[in-house]
Amino acid sequence: MKKLIAICAFMFACTYAMAQDANAIVGVWEPGNGKARVKIDNIDGKFYGRIVWLKEPNDPNTGKPKTDVNNSDASMKNVPLRGYRMLKDFQYKGKGIWEEGTIYDPESGNTYTSVITMKDANTLDIRGYVGVKTFGRSDTWRKLKVN
Amino acid sequence: MKIKFLVATLALAFSFTAPVLAQDDKDEDWDLYGDLALVDDAKVKRFAKPTIVGMSPTRFLSLSYDRQLPYIMNLSAARFPASGNSGWGVDEEAPTASSGDVTFTGGMRFNSTIPVISKASLVWQTGINYQRTGYSISAPSGQNKLSVLATALNDRGLNNLSWANTVFVPVSEQNFLIFQGSLDLSGDYDWGLQPLETVRWSLAAIYGKRVSETKRWGIGLARTYRVGNLNYVPVVMYDVTSPNRKWGTEILFPARAHGRYNFSKNSLLLFGYELEGQSYRIDPLSVGNNSYEIRRGELRPRLELQKQLSGPFWLNIQAGYRIDYSFDADELGGGNEFFRGFFGEQPFGMLNSLGPAPYFNIGISFVTL
Repeated sequence: MKKLIAICAFMFACTYAMAQDANAIVGVWEPGNGKARVKIDNIDGKFYGRIVWLKEPNDPNTGKPKTDVNNSDASMKNVPLRGYRMLKDFQYKGKGIWEEGTIYDPESGNTYTSVITMKDANTLDIRGYVGVKTFGRSDTWRKLKVN
Repeated sequence: MKIKFLVATLALAFSFTAPVLAQDDKDEDWDLYGDLALVDDAKVKRFAKPTIVGMSPTRFLSLSYDRQLPYIMNLSAARFPASGNSGWGVDEEAPTASSGDVTFTGGMRFNSTIPVISKASLVWQTGINYQRTGYSISAPSGQNKLSVLATALNDRGLNNLSWANTVFVPVSEQNFLIFQGSLDLSGDYDWGLQPLETVRWSLAAIYGKRVSETKRWGIGLARTYRVGNLNYVPVVMYDVTSPNRKWGTEILFPARAHGRYNFSKNSLLLFGYELEGQSYRIDPLSVGNNSYEIRRGELRPRLELQKQLSGPFWLNIQAGYRIDYSFDADELGGGNEFFRGFFGEQPFGMLNSLGPAPYFNIGISFVTL
Protein backbone atom coordinates (compact mmCIF):
# COMPACT_ATOMS: atom_id res chain seq x y z
CA MET A 1 0.00 0.00 0.00
CA LYS A 2 2.80 2.37 0.91
CA LYS A 3 4.45 1.58 -2.38
CA LEU A 4 1.26 2.43 -4.28
CA ILE A 5 0.92 5.71 -2.44
CA ALA A 6 4.55 6.55 -3.15
CA ILE A 7 4.15 5.82 -6.86
CA CYS A 8 0.93 7.84 -7.05
CA ALA A 9 2.52 10.71 -5.16
CA PHE A 10 5.52 10.65 -7.51
CA MET A 11 3.27 10.60 -10.59
CA PHE A 12 1.20 13.41 -9.18
CA ALA A 13 4.28 15.45 -8.42
CA CYS A 14 5.62 14.96 -11.94
CA THR A 15 2.29 15.76 -13.59
CA TYR A 16 1.76 18.79 -11.41
CA ALA A 17 5.25 20.08 -12.08
CA MET A 18 4.79 19.55 -15.84
CA ALA A 19 1.46 21.35 -15.76
CA GLN A 20 2.96 24.19 -13.79
CA ASP A 21 5.77 24.51 -16.37
CA ALA A 22 3.27 24.34 -19.23
CA ASN A 23 1.10 27.02 -17.67
CA ALA A 24 4.04 29.37 -17.30
CA ILE A 25 3.00 30.73 -20.68
CA VAL A 26 -0.50 31.58 -19.49
CA GLY A 27 -0.94 35.31 -19.09
CA VAL A 28 -0.98 38.53 -21.07
CA TRP A 29 1.94 39.27 -23.36
CA GLU A 30 3.06 42.15 -25.53
CA PRO A 31 4.68 41.45 -28.93
CA GLY A 32 7.88 43.25 -29.85
CA ASN A 33 6.15 45.95 -31.89
CA GLY A 34 3.99 46.96 -28.90
CA LYS A 35 0.95 47.32 -31.14
CA ALA A 36 -1.13 44.62 -29.48
CA ARG A 37 -1.47 42.53 -26.35
CA VAL A 38 -2.23 38.86 -26.43
CA LYS A 39 -3.75 36.76 -23.68
CA ILE A 40 -2.61 33.15 -23.69
CA ASP A 41 -4.89 30.52 -22.13
CA ASN A 42 -4.70 26.81 -21.57
CA ILE A 43 -7.74 25.19 -23.14
CA ASP A 44 -7.96 21.43 -22.83
CA GLY A 45 -4.21 21.10 -22.56
CA LYS A 46 -3.46 23.23 -25.62
CA PHE A 47 -2.50 26.88 -25.58
CA TYR A 48 -4.27 29.64 -27.45
CA GLY A 49 -3.65 33.35 -27.62
CA ARG A 50 -6.25 36.04 -28.21
CA ILE A 51 -5.66 39.68 -29.07
CA VAL A 52 -7.09 41.56 -26.09
CA TRP A 53 -5.78 45.05 -26.77
CA LEU A 54 -4.76 47.07 -29.79
CA LYS A 55 -2.71 50.24 -29.66
CA GLU A 56 -4.77 51.50 -32.57
CA PRO A 57 -8.16 49.80 -32.12
CA ASN A 58 -9.94 51.62 -34.92
CA ASP A 59 -9.27 51.57 -38.64
CA PRO A 60 -7.99 55.09 -39.46
CA ASN A 61 -9.82 54.99 -42.80
CA THR A 62 -13.25 54.08 -41.45
CA GLY A 63 -13.05 55.03 -37.79
CA LYS A 64 -14.61 51.67 -36.96
CA PRO A 65 -13.03 48.88 -34.91
CA LYS A 66 -10.36 47.03 -36.87
CA THR A 67 -11.38 43.75 -38.43
CA ASP A 68 -9.40 40.96 -40.04
CA VAL A 69 -9.46 42.67 -43.45
CA ASN A 70 -6.29 40.96 -44.65
CA ASN A 71 -7.58 37.44 -44.21
CA SER A 72 -7.75 35.61 -47.52
CA ASP A 73 -10.95 33.94 -46.29
CA ALA A 74 -13.66 36.43 -47.21
CA SER A 75 -15.91 35.20 -44.41
CA MET A 76 -13.31 36.32 -41.86
CA LYS A 77 -12.81 39.86 -43.10
CA ASN A 78 -15.48 41.31 -40.80
CA VAL A 79 -14.31 39.49 -37.69
CA PRO A 80 -13.06 42.01 -35.10
CA LEU A 81 -9.33 41.83 -34.43
CA ARG A 82 -9.87 42.41 -30.74
CA GLY A 83 -10.68 39.00 -29.42
CA TYR A 84 -9.10 37.31 -32.44
CA ARG A 85 -7.35 34.04 -31.69
CA MET A 86 -3.93 34.53 -33.32
CA LEU A 87 -2.09 31.71 -31.52
CA LYS A 88 -3.57 28.25 -31.84
CA ASP A 89 -2.97 24.67 -30.78
CA PHE A 90 0.37 24.98 -28.99
CA GLN A 91 1.40 21.98 -26.93
CA TYR A 92 3.96 21.99 -24.19
CA LYS A 93 6.96 19.81 -25.03
CA GLY A 94 8.97 20.41 -21.89
CA LYS A 95 12.08 22.54 -21.30
CA GLY A 96 10.13 25.75 -21.81
CA ILE A 97 9.12 24.97 -25.41
CA TRP A 98 5.62 24.98 -26.90
CA GLU A 99 5.28 23.57 -30.39
CA GLU A 100 2.82 22.29 -33.01
CA GLY A 101 0.94 25.57 -33.02
CA THR A 102 0.34 28.33 -35.51
CA ILE A 103 0.61 32.09 -35.38
CA TYR A 104 -1.52 34.40 -37.48
CA ASP A 105 -0.17 37.76 -38.60
CA PRO A 106 -3.16 40.10 -39.00
CA GLU A 107 -1.01 42.67 -40.83
CA SER A 108 -0.29 40.30 -43.69
CA GLY A 109 -3.16 37.84 -43.29
CA ASN A 110 -0.72 34.94 -43.22
CA THR A 111 -0.55 31.99 -40.87
CA TYR A 112 2.79 30.44 -39.99
CA THR A 113 3.84 27.32 -38.17
CA SER A 114 5.25 28.46 -34.87
CA VAL A 115 7.31 27.48 -31.88
CA ILE A 116 7.38 29.35 -28.58
CA THR A 117 10.43 29.27 -26.33
CA MET A 118 10.40 30.74 -22.86
CA LYS A 119 13.64 32.69 -22.45
CA ASP A 120 12.87 33.62 -18.86
CA ALA A 121 9.73 33.94 -16.76
CA ASN A 122 8.80 37.23 -18.43
CA THR A 123 10.11 36.78 -21.96
CA LEU A 124 8.96 34.59 -24.85
CA ASP A 125 10.73 33.99 -28.11
CA ILE A 126 8.07 33.33 -30.75
CA ARG A 127 9.26 32.04 -34.11
CA GLY A 128 6.98 31.81 -37.11
CA TYR A 129 8.24 29.84 -40.07
CA VAL A 130 7.45 28.20 -43.38
CA GLY A 131 8.19 24.51 -43.65
CA VAL A 132 11.34 24.33 -41.56
CA LYS A 133 12.40 26.58 -38.71
CA THR A 134 15.31 27.98 -40.70
CA PHE A 135 12.90 29.81 -42.98
CA GLY A 136 11.32 31.96 -40.32
CA ARG A 137 11.48 35.03 -38.15
CA SER A 138 11.51 35.44 -34.39
CA ASP A 139 9.89 38.03 -32.19
CA THR A 140 10.30 38.72 -28.49
CA TRP A 141 7.16 38.99 -26.38
CA ARG A 142 7.17 40.42 -22.86
CA LYS A 143 4.84 39.59 -20.01
CA LEU A 144 2.43 42.09 -18.53
CA LYS A 145 1.41 42.36 -14.90
CA VAL A 146 -2.16 41.27 -14.31
CA ASN A 147 -3.60 42.50 -11.03
CA MET B 1 -11.19 3.83 2.87
CA LYS B 2 -7.61 4.75 2.28
CA ILE B 3 -8.00 4.05 -1.43
CA LYS B 4 -11.10 6.24 -1.65
CA PHE B 5 -9.27 9.03 0.14
CA LEU B 6 -6.31 8.69 -2.19
CA VAL B 7 -8.52 8.80 -5.30
CA ALA B 8 -10.36 11.85 -3.97
CA THR B 9 -7.08 13.59 -3.20
CA LEU B 10 -5.67 12.86 -6.65
CA ALA B 11 -8.88 14.01 -8.33
CA LEU B 12 -8.76 17.26 -6.42
CA ALA B 13 -5.09 17.74 -7.19
CA PHE B 14 -5.55 17.10 -10.90
CA SER B 15 -8.42 19.54 -11.01
CA PHE B 16 -5.87 22.34 -10.39
CA THR B 17 -4.18 21.45 -13.64
CA ALA B 18 -7.43 21.24 -15.54
CA PRO B 19 -7.77 23.54 -18.51
CA VAL B 20 -8.76 27.11 -17.98
CA LEU B 21 -11.54 27.60 -20.44
CA ALA B 22 -11.50 30.79 -22.43
CA GLN B 23 -14.01 33.34 -21.48
CA ASP B 24 -16.67 34.36 -23.91
CA ASP B 25 -15.96 37.69 -25.62
CA LYS B 26 -19.10 39.16 -24.09
CA ASP B 27 -17.71 38.63 -20.61
CA GLU B 28 -14.34 40.14 -21.38
CA ASP B 29 -13.48 43.53 -19.96
CA TRP B 30 -11.22 44.73 -22.77
CA ASP B 31 -10.39 48.02 -21.09
CA LEU B 32 -8.60 46.09 -18.38
CA TYR B 33 -5.77 45.21 -20.74
CA GLY B 34 -4.95 48.77 -21.73
CA ASP B 35 -3.71 49.63 -18.27
CA LEU B 36 -1.33 46.72 -17.81
CA ALA B 37 2.35 47.35 -17.32
CA LEU B 38 5.27 45.13 -18.24
CA VAL B 39 6.47 42.83 -15.49
CA ASP B 40 10.03 43.74 -16.37
CA ASP B 41 9.89 47.49 -16.74
CA ALA B 42 13.34 47.81 -18.29
CA LYS B 43 13.13 50.07 -21.32
CA VAL B 44 11.75 48.15 -24.28
CA LYS B 45 13.27 48.91 -27.64
CA ARG B 46 10.96 48.67 -30.67
CA PHE B 47 12.27 47.80 -34.11
CA ALA B 48 11.21 48.52 -37.66
CA LYS B 49 10.04 45.47 -39.60
CA PRO B 50 12.04 44.51 -42.67
CA THR B 51 9.07 44.64 -45.06
CA ILE B 52 5.81 46.43 -45.65
CA VAL B 53 2.47 44.77 -46.36
CA GLY B 54 1.52 43.75 -49.86
CA MET B 55 5.02 43.25 -51.24
CA SER B 56 5.93 40.31 -53.41
CA PRO B 57 7.01 37.32 -51.32
CA THR B 58 10.62 36.87 -50.26
CA ARG B 59 12.18 33.99 -52.15
CA PHE B 60 14.17 31.62 -49.98
CA LEU B 61 14.96 29.27 -52.86
CA SER B 62 14.24 29.66 -56.54
CA LEU B 63 15.06 27.81 -59.72
CA SER B 64 14.32 29.31 -63.09
CA TYR B 65 15.05 29.04 -66.78
CA ASP B 66 15.95 32.17 -68.71
CA ARG B 67 15.90 32.41 -72.49
CA GLN B 68 16.46 35.18 -74.99
CA LEU B 69 15.08 35.03 -78.51
CA PRO B 70 17.45 35.37 -81.52
CA TYR B 71 19.42 38.55 -82.17
CA ILE B 72 22.53 39.80 -83.94
CA MET B 73 25.85 40.14 -82.12
CA ASN B 74 28.49 42.57 -83.43
CA LEU B 75 32.01 42.20 -82.09
CA SER B 76 35.05 44.34 -82.69
CA ALA B 77 38.52 42.90 -82.92
CA ALA B 78 40.14 42.19 -79.58
CA ARG B 79 42.88 44.56 -78.45
CA PHE B 80 45.03 44.23 -75.38
CA PRO B 81 45.55 47.58 -73.64
CA ALA B 82 47.07 46.08 -70.49
CA SER B 83 49.46 43.98 -72.51
CA GLY B 84 50.79 47.04 -74.30
CA ASN B 85 48.69 46.89 -77.42
CA SER B 86 46.49 49.97 -77.01
CA GLY B 87 42.74 49.70 -77.37
CA TRP B 88 40.06 52.17 -78.36
CA GLY B 89 39.09 55.28 -76.46
CA VAL B 90 35.54 55.16 -75.15
CA ASP B 91 34.41 57.88 -77.53
CA GLU B 92 35.84 56.22 -80.58
CA GLU B 93 33.87 54.04 -82.96
CA ALA B 94 35.33 50.58 -83.13
CA PRO B 95 34.96 48.79 -86.41
CA THR B 96 32.91 45.62 -86.35
CA ALA B 97 35.28 42.81 -87.01
CA SER B 98 32.78 40.01 -86.93
CA SER B 99 29.10 39.36 -86.45
CA GLY B 100 27.13 36.41 -85.25
CA ASP B 101 23.57 35.21 -85.48
CA VAL B 102 22.73 34.30 -81.92
CA THR B 103 19.95 31.73 -81.96
CA PHE B 104 20.17 30.71 -78.33
CA THR B 105 21.03 32.63 -75.18
CA GLY B 106 19.85 31.17 -71.94
CA GLY B 107 20.18 28.75 -69.10
CA MET B 108 19.23 27.80 -65.58
CA ARG B 109 19.39 30.10 -62.61
CA PHE B 110 19.42 29.13 -58.96
CA ASN B 111 19.06 31.59 -56.12
CA SER B 112 19.00 31.06 -52.39
CA THR B 113 18.39 33.41 -49.50
CA ILE B 114 18.74 31.61 -46.20
CA PRO B 115 18.01 33.41 -42.95
CA VAL B 116 20.96 32.99 -40.60
CA ILE B 117 19.62 35.41 -38.00
CA SER B 118 16.03 36.49 -38.22
CA LYS B 119 14.75 38.34 -35.24
CA ALA B 120 13.24 41.73 -34.57
CA SER B 121 16.59 43.38 -33.79
CA LEU B 122 18.61 41.91 -36.67
CA VAL B 123 18.06 40.02 -39.89
CA TRP B 124 20.97 38.41 -41.72
CA GLN B 125 20.32 36.41 -44.85
CA THR B 126 22.92 34.61 -46.89
CA GLY B 127 22.75 32.67 -50.10
CA ILE B 128 24.59 31.04 -52.96
CA ASN B 129 23.44 31.89 -56.46
CA TYR B 130 24.31 30.39 -59.80
CA GLN B 131 23.45 31.69 -63.23
CA ARG B 132 24.26 29.93 -66.47
CA THR B 133 24.12 31.61 -69.87
CA GLY B 134 24.76 29.31 -72.77
CA TYR B 135 25.07 30.58 -76.34
CA SER B 136 24.51 29.25 -79.79
CA ILE B 137 26.15 31.58 -82.30
CA SER B 138 26.61 30.99 -85.97
CA ALA B 139 28.51 33.01 -88.54
CA PRO B 140 26.24 34.98 -90.87
CA SER B 141 26.36 34.19 -94.55
CA GLY B 142 29.44 35.67 -96.18
CA GLN B 143 31.52 35.29 -93.05
CA ASN B 144 33.33 32.03 -92.79
CA LYS B 145 34.37 31.93 -89.18
CA LEU B 146 33.53 33.20 -85.74
CA SER B 147 35.74 35.40 -83.63
CA VAL B 148 37.60 34.01 -80.62
CA LEU B 149 35.05 35.56 -78.26
CA ALA B 150 32.04 34.16 -80.14
CA THR B 151 33.70 30.74 -80.23
CA ALA B 152 34.37 30.90 -76.49
CA LEU B 153 30.77 31.86 -75.80
CA ASN B 154 29.58 29.04 -78.06
CA ASP B 155 31.82 26.44 -76.53
CA ARG B 156 31.79 27.42 -72.88
CA GLY B 157 29.04 29.93 -72.24
CA LEU B 158 29.08 32.28 -69.28
CA ASN B 159 28.69 31.38 -65.63
CA ASN B 160 28.14 33.48 -62.57
CA LEU B 161 28.56 32.06 -59.10
CA SER B 162 27.93 34.39 -56.23
CA TRP B 163 27.71 34.48 -52.48
CA ALA B 164 25.33 37.19 -51.37
CA ASN B 165 24.56 38.54 -47.92
CA THR B 166 21.94 40.97 -46.75
CA VAL B 167 21.87 42.45 -43.28
CA PHE B 168 18.88 44.44 -42.05
CA VAL B 169 19.59 46.49 -38.94
CA PRO B 170 16.62 48.31 -37.42
CA VAL B 171 17.87 51.24 -35.39
CA SER B 172 14.46 52.33 -34.11
CA GLU B 173 10.78 51.63 -34.61
CA GLN B 174 10.92 53.42 -37.97
CA ASN B 175 14.52 53.77 -39.07
CA PHE B 176 16.72 51.05 -40.42
CA LEU B 177 19.94 50.28 -42.27
CA ILE B 178 20.37 47.68 -44.99
CA PHE B 179 23.73 46.33 -46.11
CA GLN B 180 23.92 44.10 -49.15
CA GLY B 181 27.16 42.54 -50.27
CA SER B 182 28.14 39.87 -52.74
CA LEU B 183 31.21 38.14 -54.07
CA ASP B 184 30.92 37.12 -57.71
CA LEU B 185 32.99 34.73 -59.76
CA SER B 186 31.98 35.26 -63.37
CA GLY B 187 33.43 33.86 -66.54
CA ASP B 188 33.52 31.12 -69.13
CA TYR B 189 34.86 28.61 -66.62
CA ASP B 190 33.88 25.01 -66.14
CA TRP B 191 34.28 22.81 -63.05
CA GLY B 192 37.84 24.05 -62.68
CA LEU B 193 36.54 27.59 -62.08
CA GLN B 194 39.08 30.40 -62.66
CA PRO B 195 41.69 32.41 -60.73
CA LEU B 196 40.21 33.77 -57.52
CA GLU B 197 41.79 37.16 -58.25
CA THR B 198 38.84 37.64 -60.58
CA VAL B 199 36.32 37.52 -57.74
CA ARG B 200 34.47 40.84 -57.86
CA TRP B 201 32.71 42.36 -54.89
CA SER B 202 29.63 44.51 -54.74
CA LEU B 203 28.24 46.38 -51.77
CA ALA B 204 25.26 48.58 -51.07
CA ALA B 205 24.42 50.50 -47.93
CA ILE B 206 21.02 52.05 -47.45
CA TYR B 207 19.51 54.16 -44.72
CA GLY B 208 15.74 53.91 -44.70
CA LYS B 209 12.58 54.85 -42.91
CA ARG B 210 9.52 52.66 -42.53
CA VAL B 211 6.92 55.36 -42.47
CA SER B 212 3.96 53.03 -41.97
CA GLU B 213 2.80 49.49 -42.63
CA THR B 214 2.38 50.46 -46.27
CA LYS B 215 5.31 52.73 -47.01
CA ARG B 216 9.06 52.85 -46.64
CA TRP B 217 11.86 54.68 -48.38
CA GLY B 218 15.59 54.69 -48.29
CA ILE B 219 18.69 56.27 -49.80
CA GLY B 220 22.19 54.93 -50.07
CA LEU B 221 25.23 54.18 -52.14
CA ALA B 222 26.27 51.09 -54.07
CA ARG B 223 29.44 49.69 -55.53
CA THR B 224 28.02 47.68 -58.36
CA TYR B 225 28.68 45.77 -61.56
CA ARG B 226 25.11 45.97 -62.79
CA VAL B 227 26.13 48.06 -65.78
CA GLY B 228 28.95 45.67 -66.59
CA ASN B 229 31.98 47.48 -65.31
CA LEU B 230 32.61 48.75 -61.82
CA ASN B 231 30.56 51.74 -60.83
CA TYR B 232 29.52 53.71 -57.78
CA VAL B 233 25.93 54.86 -57.88
CA PRO B 234 23.40 56.41 -55.50
CA VAL B 235 20.55 54.11 -54.51
CA VAL B 236 16.94 55.04 -53.88
CA MET B 237 14.50 52.61 -52.30
CA TYR B 238 10.79 53.33 -52.41
CA ASP B 239 8.22 50.68 -51.52
CA VAL B 240 4.61 51.59 -51.09
CA THR B 241 1.26 49.79 -51.07
CA SER B 242 -2.05 51.54 -51.69
CA PRO B 243 -4.71 51.62 -48.92
CA ASN B 244 -6.76 48.96 -50.74
CA ARG B 245 -3.56 46.89 -51.08
CA LYS B 246 -4.07 46.44 -54.81
CA TRP B 247 -1.36 48.73 -56.15
CA GLY B 248 2.17 49.40 -55.09
CA THR B 249 5.79 49.93 -55.99
CA GLU B 250 8.94 47.94 -55.34
CA ILE B 251 11.83 50.19 -56.26
CA LEU B 252 15.53 49.83 -55.60
CA PHE B 253 16.76 52.31 -58.16
CA PRO B 254 18.81 51.98 -60.31
CA ALA B 255 19.02 48.17 -59.96
CA ARG B 256 15.30 47.63 -60.40
CA ALA B 257 12.02 49.48 -60.33
CA HIS B 258 8.60 47.86 -60.51
CA GLY B 259 5.01 48.83 -60.17
CA ARG B 260 2.88 46.13 -58.57
CA TYR B 261 -0.71 45.03 -58.93
CA ASN B 262 -1.94 42.46 -56.43
CA PHE B 263 -4.73 40.38 -57.96
CA SER B 264 -5.10 38.68 -54.60
CA LYS B 265 -2.91 37.49 -51.78
CA ASN B 266 -1.91 34.59 -54.00
CA SER B 267 -1.01 36.31 -57.22
CA LEU B 268 0.48 39.59 -58.34
CA LEU B 269 1.91 41.32 -61.39
CA LEU B 270 5.10 43.37 -61.42
CA PHE B 271 5.83 45.76 -64.28
CA GLY B 272 9.07 47.65 -64.65
CA TYR B 273 12.68 46.84 -65.30
CA GLU B 274 15.80 45.29 -63.85
CA LEU B 275 19.43 45.98 -64.59
CA GLU B 276 21.51 42.83 -64.77
CA GLY B 277 25.24 42.69 -65.13
CA GLN B 278 28.62 41.38 -64.17
CA SER B 279 32.18 41.29 -65.39
CA TYR B 280 32.93 37.92 -67.06
CA ARG B 281 36.46 36.64 -67.58
CA ILE B 282 37.04 35.03 -70.98
CA ASP B 283 39.78 32.47 -70.68
CA PRO B 284 41.00 32.21 -74.30
CA LEU B 285 41.60 35.98 -74.37
CA SER B 286 43.23 36.22 -70.95
CA VAL B 287 46.97 36.47 -71.51
CA GLY B 288 49.37 35.57 -68.74
CA ASN B 289 48.13 36.98 -65.45
CA ASN B 290 45.86 39.43 -67.19
CA SER B 291 42.11 38.95 -67.15
CA TYR B 292 40.11 39.73 -70.25
CA GLU B 293 36.57 40.50 -69.14
CA ILE B 294 33.27 41.10 -70.86
CA ARG B 295 31.50 43.97 -69.11
CA ARG B 296 28.02 42.58 -69.54
CA GLY B 297 25.17 44.90 -68.59
CA GLU B 298 21.55 44.41 -69.64
CA LEU B 299 18.44 46.47 -69.18
CA ARG B 300 15.36 44.28 -68.90
CA PRO B 301 12.01 46.03 -69.10
CA ARG B 302 9.45 43.37 -68.27
CA LEU B 303 6.23 42.03 -66.86
CA GLU B 304 6.42 39.44 -64.13
CA LEU B 305 3.55 37.31 -62.93
CA GLN B 306 3.94 35.66 -59.54
CA LYS B 307 1.33 33.11 -58.53
CA GLN B 308 1.03 30.72 -55.64
CA LEU B 309 1.03 27.08 -56.71
CA SER B 310 0.67 25.40 -53.35
CA GLY B 311 1.64 26.52 -49.87
CA PRO B 312 5.02 28.25 -50.01
CA PHE B 313 5.66 27.24 -53.64
CA TRP B 314 5.14 30.00 -56.17
CA LEU B 315 5.38 30.18 -59.95
CA ASN B 316 7.21 33.13 -61.51
CA ILE B 317 6.89 34.04 -65.17
CA GLN B 318 8.73 36.97 -66.71
CA ALA B 319 8.40 38.28 -70.24
CA GLY B 320 10.16 41.31 -71.53
CA TYR B 321 12.89 42.76 -73.64
CA ARG B 322 16.61 42.43 -73.18
CA ILE B 323 18.36 45.65 -74.17
CA ASP B 324 22.13 45.65 -74.37
CA TYR B 325 23.72 48.26 -72.14
CA SER B 326 27.25 46.94 -72.42
CA PHE B 327 28.96 43.92 -73.88
CA ASP B 328 32.30 45.67 -74.21
CA ALA B 329 35.49 44.15 -72.86
CA ASP B 330 38.47 45.22 -70.79
CA GLU B 331 41.83 43.68 -70.29
CA LEU B 332 42.69 43.93 -66.61
CA GLY B 333 46.39 43.91 -65.85
CA GLY B 334 47.09 41.18 -63.32
CA GLY B 335 43.34 40.71 -62.97
CA ASN B 336 43.14 43.96 -61.01
CA GLU B 337 39.94 45.93 -61.29
CA PHE B 338 39.91 49.63 -62.14
CA PHE B 339 37.25 52.30 -61.96
CA ARG B 340 36.01 53.84 -65.18
CA GLY B 341 32.50 54.84 -64.12
CA PHE B 342 30.37 56.71 -66.60
CA PHE B 343 33.00 59.24 -67.55
CA GLY B 344 36.35 57.48 -67.44
CA GLU B 345 38.48 57.45 -70.57
CA GLN B 346 40.36 54.21 -70.17
CA PRO B 347 40.45 52.37 -73.48
CA PHE B 348 38.31 49.27 -73.93
CA GLY B 349 39.71 46.05 -75.28
CA MET B 350 36.60 45.44 -77.37
CA LEU B 351 33.55 47.51 -78.26
CA ASN B 352 30.68 45.13 -78.89
CA SER B 353 26.96 45.39 -79.30
CA LEU B 354 24.01 43.04 -79.06
CA GLY B 355 20.75 43.57 -80.89
CA PRO B 356 17.73 43.82 -78.60
CA ALA B 357 15.80 40.62 -78.01
CA PRO B 358 12.59 39.52 -76.34
CA TYR B 359 13.19 37.20 -73.42
CA PHE B 360 11.27 35.10 -70.94
CA ASN B 361 12.04 33.53 -67.62
CA ILE B 362 10.00 30.85 -65.90
CA GLY B 363 10.70 29.48 -62.47
CA ILE B 364 9.48 28.09 -59.22
CA SER B 365 10.23 29.51 -55.80
CA PHE B 366 9.97 28.56 -52.17
CA VAL B 367 8.84 31.73 -50.48
CA THR B 368 7.68 33.39 -47.34
CA LEU B 369 5.07 36.14 -47.38
